[in-house]
Amino acid sequence: MLDDEIVRAVLARALDSGAEFAEIYAEQRDGRSVRLDDGRVEDLVSGRDVGAGIRVLRGQQTAYAFTNLLTLEALLEAAGVAAAGLPGSRMATVADLRTVTPERQHLAARDPREADGPALAEVVRRAEDAARSVDAAVRQVTVLWADSAQDVFITNSEGHRSTERRVRTRLVAQVVAARDGLIQTGMDAPGAAVGLELLDAHPPQDVGRRAAERAVAMLDSVPAPAGELTVVLAPGGGGVLFHEACGHGMEADIVAKGASVYGGRQGEAIGSELVSGVDDATLPGSWGSMGLDDEGTPAQRTVLFDRGVCTDYMSDRLRAAKLAIPRSGNARRQSYAHLPIPRMTNSFILPGESDPAEIVRSVKRGLYCDDLGGGQVDPASGDFVFGVSMAHMIEDGELTSLVRGANLVGDGPTVLARIDAVGTDFDQRQGVCGKDGQGVPAALGNPTLRISRITVGGTA
Amino acid sequence: MSSDGDAEALLGILDGLVARARVGEGVEAYGIDEAQLTIKAYDGEVEALSSARTRGVGIRVLRDARFGYAWTSDLSDTALAETLEAARRNASATGPDEANVLPEPLPPTDVGSLDDPRFAEVTPEYKVALALRLEAAVRRAGGAIKGVDSASYGDDRATVGIASSTGIRAATTRCDTYVVVEALAEAEGATTSAYGLDTARVAQDLDVDGAAAEAVRRALLVLGGRKPETDRIPVVFDPFATAEVLGVLAGALTAEAVQKGRSLFAGKVGQAIGAERLTLVDDGTLPGGLSTMPWDDEGVPTSRTLLMEGGVLRGYLHNSHTAARDGTTSTSTGNASRAGFRSPPGVAPSNLHLLPGEAPPEALLADVGNGFYCQRLMGLHSGANPVTGEFSVGVNGVMVRGGVLAEPVREATIAGTLPAMLLGVAAVGSDLRWLPFGGGLGGLTLVVEGMTLAGA
Repeated sequence: MLDDEIVRAVLARALDSGAEFAEIYAEQRDGRSVRLDDGRVEDLVSGRDVGAGIRVLRGQQTAYAFTNLLTLEALLEAAGVAAAGLPGSRMATVADLRTVTPERQHLAARDPREADGPALAEVVRRAEDAARSVDAAVRQVTVLWADSAQDVFITNSEGHRSTERRVRTRLVAQVVAARDGLIQTGMDAPGAAVGLELLDAHPPQDVGRRAAERAVAMLDSVPAPAGELTVVLAPGGGGVLFHEACGHGMEADIVAKGASVYGGRQGEAIGSELVSGVDDATLPGSWGSMGLDDEGTPAQRTVLFDRGVCTDYMSDRLRAAKLAIPRSGNARRQSYAHLPIPRMTNSFILPGESDPAEIVRSVKRGLYCDDLGGGQVDPASGDFVFGVSMAHMIEDGELTSLVRGANLVGDGPTVLARIDAVGTDFDQRQGVCGKDGQGVPAALGNPTLRISRITVGGTA
Repeated sequence: MSSDGDAEALLGILDGLVARARVGEGVEAYGIDEAQLTIKAYDGEVEALSSARTRGVGIRVLRDARFGYAWTSDLSDTALAETLEAARRNASATGPDEANVLPEPLPPTDVGSLDDPRFAEVTPEYKVALALRLEAAVRRAGGAIKGVDSASYGDDRATVGIASSTGIRAATTRCDTYVVVEALAEAEGATTSAYGLDTARVAQDLDVDGAAAEAVRRALLVLGGRKPETDRIPVVFDPFATAEVLGVLAGALTAEAVQKGRSLFAGKVGQAIGAERLTLVDDGTLPGGLSTMPWDDEGVPTSRTLLMEGGVLRGYLHNSHTAARDGTTSTSTGNASRAGFRSPPGVAPSNLHLLPGEAPPEALLADVGNGFYCQRLMGLHSGANPVTGEFSVGVNGVMVRGGVLAEPVREATIAGTLPAMLLGVAAVGSDLRWLPFGGGLGGLTLVVEGMTLAGA
């Protein structure tokens, strides 16, 4: 994306004052979205973002500047602004540049641009038609198609130079159903680091139908009970809980600030010995996968906890140095306009040895959470709250009535400790994880899990 | 650079695009040229300093009642021409809607200057010193305050412009500054965090010590919390919590949500939806407001809109599309809103707030006697549903006993429905506090009767 001559000049300018390290992150991103709402394709939006961020580091100090223009002049100006953020005398020089090639690339089989606007309008209409045909109770259908093709160029004063192309596609259907004054919603939202082949794995009509079936089914739900209950999390449906309540606390920036309940716990038991968790950016074509992270470190599989014992944290360059741990390849940024910070990619609870059906049969009275909605967690205490978007009561080992309006309240360490059965199955979901004002694609996943006791906030 | 110079440069680009509109086609160009600075302090040093200049243009093309949108951060002539072509292509694949209109020009609302010459007088060194002072002020509190999660100074000066083939042509420059800090408190192995903040047009007017004191006070207030007994009691929302609830209500008060069947307030205009003491106003013209502008993101003049008056629903927030869809009964309230140049306009509140009552928070607590003082809501986005009205969220806070704050509470939920909450408002505090959540939300202490606090 940038000639070596420009790179060397810009990095040299960035090192002009007191920085130990300088880096250029440049990208071009073509994004497109098609949104159907209220029976009509309302928006078709496309755009191109081009820009570069210049980062300089000294110890744990960072200065950053970015520009929309990739001209030598604009880049030198940004480098000057960044350099001025770390005043001092020259400490480092630019090493010889060498190209680093990602070991794994997540290449799209079919470029999203093979489908033009009208073809994508047809995709979202097919999802809508399928959703509306599920039941007369379906009131509103929103379908969103989004694709992006991002070309990333990273180079730094240590001589690293790499490029990577990342393509992502996603189809989201949201349905509102209403009957007798009760309104319920349902959603399905597959996404992957692939091209148009996403639609082969997830045909639009299936996505629309699944969202509608969930919304319509919930019309027969009863208000959730409140109190402490045994809770079973369905495969995929509970991943967000571990992402929020455990994953974020194992990001090295939060650990380094002493703001995590999991800080300084490496080698200690932080949960039930039945439970192991990983963050794995190497999974082929998965929503959060990448070849190199946004600092150029190869993407990896990082074991966060192994049979209940805290193992590794997710780190970037700065926090790895601060905690004296290896770089785990988890540096991510929303765009050139943002600083890289440690982030999850595909964070999963691994399958165990129990028969999922047997786990449900083992519960006398409890809540089976088909899907959790959004949640919030205070990383300092680990306290969390999750909405349960779809759930069933478990009575005498059988799934009975659907329940609505439940939420789960607790804290990460307690939940990890109370997992007393782990299923052999597994499923995942895709989302956009927000942290420090930056959104990045992240996948979450889990097998069937039984939590012996957890507070359920209900409305009944 | 002067405001006028920035504005004219941006308008020049937008004019060039509008001039290329073809016969039978509407073209609207929206542009932004923004400079931002963020300084984060940690452990007595500048942890990160980030300086940004963002430019971008979004183009909306209207043909045969179909809108297409395209944007670019590359403002070269070639890229702008390609973006206009992309918007045209995109318009050919969307569905027609007779309510798709580009608004006609109207005189902008006079909100005075949103720029301030004092903004440019502040040196980078002064800004760094503010961030360091903010962090130090929290650490200095000592005792159970164990650290600072983050302490930031930020500023933003943006020129926003819009021009369209209907004759709209406007640009304005606005500057803003803020400090925000999150304090960590620890006791008996349990940690709590809470933030404090202040906003001002220019850094000279920021209350750094006030923001630090707020974070410290709020973090200590809930330290050592335990699960409460489940009970049906009055809940006293603090101004932050009230502002967050307003944010949820805002989603249901846009005409877009109403027209698309996604609002619990659909069809309720003229009906009592809240207690008589509740009056809710959205005011894009508010002097000094966090979201005050002379015109909205479609170039329509901003206005003051009475949404709920004495508990009675008076109307909804509109942009030109939702107003046109309502036919002759509505006009745009000047609430078109975009998430920057990359998105076409939707509808959102500007400065949304409840009119304050007369009693200070201490008097409200004394009146309540026994209840729950709610400082923080968690899981609001999944737990408070503006479509169904269901409300069930996690909370921390403090029990109110004998009219004063008693033991802290954590890992609890409060539940009810939004309609019941609005009708159950027993008192409105005098302590209006503006918070920069999704525009500007004005919260205050609010007492709601008969909610369920659930704990163990």
